Amino acid sequence: MMRLICIIKYVPDVDNFKYDYENNVLIRENVRLTLNPDDACAVAFALKVKARDPKTHIEVVTMAPMSVQPHMEDLLRLGVDKGTIISDRLYIGSDTYATSLVLGRYLSAQTYDVILSGTHAIDGDTSHIPAQLGDLLGLNQMSGIIKVDEAALSQTLAVFEVETEDMIATYEMMLPAILSLTRESAYKLPYIKRQNMDLDVTRRINIISNEQLGFEADEVGIKGSPTKVAKTYTKEFNQKERTVIGTDDEGISLVYEFLKEKGFI
Amino acid sequence: MKSCLIYIDHKEIQNSIDLLEVARQIFKDEPYETTGVEFGDQKVTLTGGFDHLIQVHHPEIKLYDQVAVTDVMVQIQEAKAYDCILIPATYYGRILAPRLSMHLGVGLVADVTAIGHSNNNLEMIRPAFSGRIMAGIISRSQSPIMMSVRQGVFHYEGQTDKVADIMKYVPTHVKDGGISCLSVKQKEQTYDIRESDVLVSGGGGVVKSFQHLEKLAKKLGGQVSASRKIVDQGLASRSIQVGQSGKTVSPKLYIALGIYGSIQHVEGLKNVPHMISVNINRDAPICSLSDIVVEGDAVAFIDGLMKKIEENEGTLL
Repeated sequence: MMRLICIIKYVPDVDNFKYDYENNVLIRENVRLTLNPDDACAVAFALKVKARDPKTHIEVVTMAPMSVQPHMEDLLRLGVDKGTIISDRLYIGSDTYATSLVLGRYLSAQTYDVILSGTHAIDGDTSHIPAQLGDLLGLNQMSGIIKVDEAALSQTLAVFEVETEDMIATYEMMLPAILSLTRESAYKLPYIKRQNMDLDVTRRINIISNEQLGFEADEVGIKGSPTKVAKTYTKEFNQKERTVIGTDDEGISLVYEFLKEKGFI
Repeated sequence: MKSCLIYIDHKEIQNSIDLLEVARQIFKDEPYETTGVEFGDQKVTLTGGFDHLIQVHHPEIKLYDQVAVTDVMVQIQEAKAYDCILIPATYYGRILAPRLSMHLGVGLVADVTAIGHSNNNLEMIRPAFSGRIMAGIISRSQSPIMMSVRQGVFHYEGQTDKVADIMKYVPTHVKDGGISCLSVKQKEQTYDIRESDVLVSGGGGVVKSFQHLEKLAKKLGGQVSASRKIVDQGLASRSIQVGQSGKTVSPKLYIALGIYGSIQHVEGLKNVPHMISVNINRDAPICSLSDIVVEGDAVAFIDGLMKKIEENEGTLL
């Protein structure tokens, strides 16, 4: 019976951010929280394993504000067994280092065969946490996983494919370990079954605060973070004095002359 | 004298050497020395830009085993105490850097694209929100300062005739991360769009006509590149994708056909002197950045321009 833990993050839906080049302003309108796409693949994969072997136990863990509880409940309605929300005022403002310490302390007290995660988050995009957890927990970790061999998956090893810039490599890794999937993989979360839409899953929600984890204030949050954002810059783009033309002869001639003048023809 | 260790990723040697430029920007007028660390003998001349070179030799090290590689890097850092460790943000670099920084107990900034200095603080600037905004990050950890650096952004143009002293390092033992590689399938090698002076690039607006771009690219002595939309549709390899999740390019001429110009795409364009956009929507964001905006159909543009060029070929002026 495999025990899978999925580390997930809820992120602002950055695809709804629009950029105003004229004024160099990032417009964050209609921002909702969404499950980070890579992480959704990790959960989808875990559910696939469970579909193969219903005795599989899946726990999903996130460090987040309590407002993610409704999202977590939806994952439970898909068949996840336990949803853990690690939340405490003390953790606010944590960078990846501090966040890894928090998640790591919780995970070090759990039993599991595999920790599944995404490779990068669409907001921070550092890909730090899975690797940092690997170091903290003494586990190996690989990113960019597009496929895990479900038939070969056992409590002692995993076989998976990683896609990089120039190749697709197949690795075999001893478990326990951390496998980080990418949205390029084919794993997709199913929809909640109609009959489960209003399922009361609250007793499967597990809330962890600093009372259980016992960090000092200066170990976590802003104080415990070695890195901090000093400034944000909107991108400056050089606006051009642009000439607007069509695809008629006149327009084409203008382009031709431009290219000739600049030496491209 | 400050010391800077640069990790040479065996798959991206030039991108790793370019980190010497990051070191230059970090230390500015302060004297510093650089050390490159390569695993194995890459048979590529790395001397010239570095003051020192460490070659790690051990028959059991698998370069894809980041437990093993991190452990060796920890050994090196504990022996030499570098002030700064730079790692290219390659596939392996992005796994090594966080493992190493966590082990050393220091902060790490990922995917740095610019270096700044403010109030005596080193500011490491990187894209956030999938490239929609830039964040300037400060690290309290001074020893070592660690960052992974985005490829293709910094270019080393300094001294290339230094004679580095080379140290062979044979670790007494190597940690085994319990991983082995069963097979490797090389992807079809396409060209590197970063090497082209002219890029003819297609986006969502040319999904049906993407194959037409090739002939114009060839005519102008350039290559075809693509936005994420084209790649996601399976019409092109991700290796020719321009943008935040693709490559950063600096061609002399960028012709954008049917490209909207989302910030994640534009993030991949660095110092492009000449840009022409062809779009049925003259108000697409990319048009703000273009010298010439051709309002119309991409295929009509390509055919018209090809005809014009061919008509004038062979005429002496």
